[in-house]
Amino acid sequence: MTKLIEKRTVDMRIIGEWVEPGTRVLDLGCGRGVLLDYLVQTKQVAATGVDLDFAKISACVRRGVSAYQGDMVTFMRTFAEKHFDRVICSRTVHELNDPAEVILEALRVGRSVTVGFVNHAFWKNRVDALLRGRKARNAVYTTDWFESRPTNPVSIADFEHFCATKGITITRRAHLGGDWKSPCHTRPNFFAGYALYDLAK
Amino acid sequence: MKPAESTVSPPSAESGEVGLVEPHDFHHRAPFTFDSGQTLPGFTLRYETYGQLNATRDNTVLICHALSGDHHCAGLHPGDRKPGWWNNIIGPGKAVDTRRFFVVCANVLGGCVGSTGPSSTNPETGRPYGVAFPFVTIRDMVRSQKLLLDHLGVVSLYATIGGSMGGMMVLQWGIEFPQFTRRMLAMATTARESAQAIAFNEVGRQAIMQDPAWNHGDYPRDGGPRVGLAIARMMAHITYLSDASMDRKFGRRKKETADRTAYTFDMQFEVESYLRHQGESFINRFDANSYLYITRALDHFDLAAAHGSLEQAFAAVEAETLVVGFTSDWLFPCEQNRAVTLALLRAGKRASYAELSMDLGHDSFLLESPQLYDLVRGFLERDQPYVFDFAI
Repeated sequence: MTKLIEKRTVDMRIIGEWVEPGTRVLDLGCGRGVLLDYLVQTKQVAATGVDLDFAKISACVRRGVSAYQGDMVTFMRTFAEKHFDRVICSRTVHELNDPAEVILEALRVGRSVTVGFVNHAFWKNRVDALLRGRKARNAVYTTDWFESRPTNPVSIADFEHFCATKGITITRRAHLGGDWKSPCHTRPNFFAGYALYDLAK
Repeated sequence: MKPAESTVSPPSAESGEVGLVEPHDFHHRAPFTFDSGQTLPGFTLRYETYGQLNATRDNTVLICHALSGDHHCAGLHPGDRKPGWWNNIIGPGKAVDTRRFFVVCANVLGGCVGSTGPSSTNPETGRPYGVAFPFVTIRDMVRSQKLLLDHLGVVSLYATIGGSMGGMMVLQWGIEFPQFTRRMLAMATTARESAQAIAFNEVGRQAIMQDPAWNHGDYPRDGGPRVGLAIARMMAHITYLSDASMDRKFGRRKKETADRTAYTFDMQFEVESYLRHQGESFINRFDANSYLYITRALDHFDLAAAHGSLEQAFAAVEAETLVVGFTSDWLFPCEQNRAVTLALLRAGKRASYAELSMDLGHDSFLLESPQLYDLVRGFLERDQPYVFDFAI
């Protein structure tokens, strides 16, 4: 039998460190359920994912991760306050129509909310835009503009400004360099390629 | 469809057919009390099985049929050209793999295909029960089938699977026998029918009961309200399809034989001929009183009302659940399938919801769909655990 192998990325590892064992976790835009599977295996969480795509849900079911096909805001609205210990929105926030609505609803149904996103103000992205004059491409923004869904690029400065305006408490943050692996401690809005935030309200 | 000889040749690694099958009768020879408080001195359930019960007696997959279905869900009966009603999903190497699972399907209590129902002989009168038969609920159907599974030596259900009314039974299994039921797979179903669905059932019942041949449920086995039952079936059949699928299948095409221009009430459109055929073939295989009883069981099914709320109904559930909705199903629409899943999740259970875009209406769950097969297989067989590569 061939082994089914998934790569653990650094942002997965950090989220895993933030998650308390045995808690109830919701992943918004769960995809094929890789992150939730990792959290089930390492932290024994009670995992639920939400995604719009049938094939993604089918993949989650195949790996034993509970997943719900449908709109994430409509889904969350049917749950009581703080039903989940943690709501995760990883590599998804740039695709949301109304990010504030999603994050605020997540803060209602979750005790804490983890958001992970590509920092669009990373210096290479700025140089790309300035010198090459082209759309950013990376592991999250994988496609050319003509194959892309409408996206809503966000920077670290944008996100922190959003949290301040909405009265959201940032309880933890992690910034990763351009390789999305090594920690970035200086001027993250310029030097960090990837950002993770843990929020509460 | 493949011929019956497929039992002789070894099934291929990929997929094969169940082959020739025969029904069995389970006789429960002790009194059975219905939810209504009425009792029967005993009952019979007709059932079929495919595959082998394993040594630990825990590989059983119970198939629950819909309103007009029966125990014959896969394989062929000798001389038949058409296989069982869910043959496309059940068989060696198929989504419900009979090389791995012991598949059981029984005709429901109150039915008319071998199980005890209103057309069975009442030992007190020597004549069919008719409307003297006890009122049947979905819970009665499930409790009676549990007696069958006990008789077969099944210690727990690996999974129970069903669509429409079968999906209601699946949910009832998880609630009624939480430790016994390890997986629930419910498709195109609901925790309670809408007013619209009850309304359609009532029109069907009225068509039967207004037929003079119904005679208050007292009719000979070869007679009865044939016109009423055919009309009930014709109307119900429309609710199993969708506007788009009917348009694709029939459009406004007219019968070859029809006088295309004549102003007449004779059969002209192909869709008319199709529905009449549906009605005709139904009266030859279904009992009108059973139709009344089973549609009433559907109407009475209301998990929220029975338990205070849907979350409370699912409070005892231990099974893992997969609910599948179909976008074009307007009888038990996606919204009602979602409501089941959401209530399970709110009750803290493991539940998934998947939605298939098939334009074939309520009956979509019965049709060939590789996506559905993959989903069902994935739910039942599960990938081996993924190994995470920590070396990054």
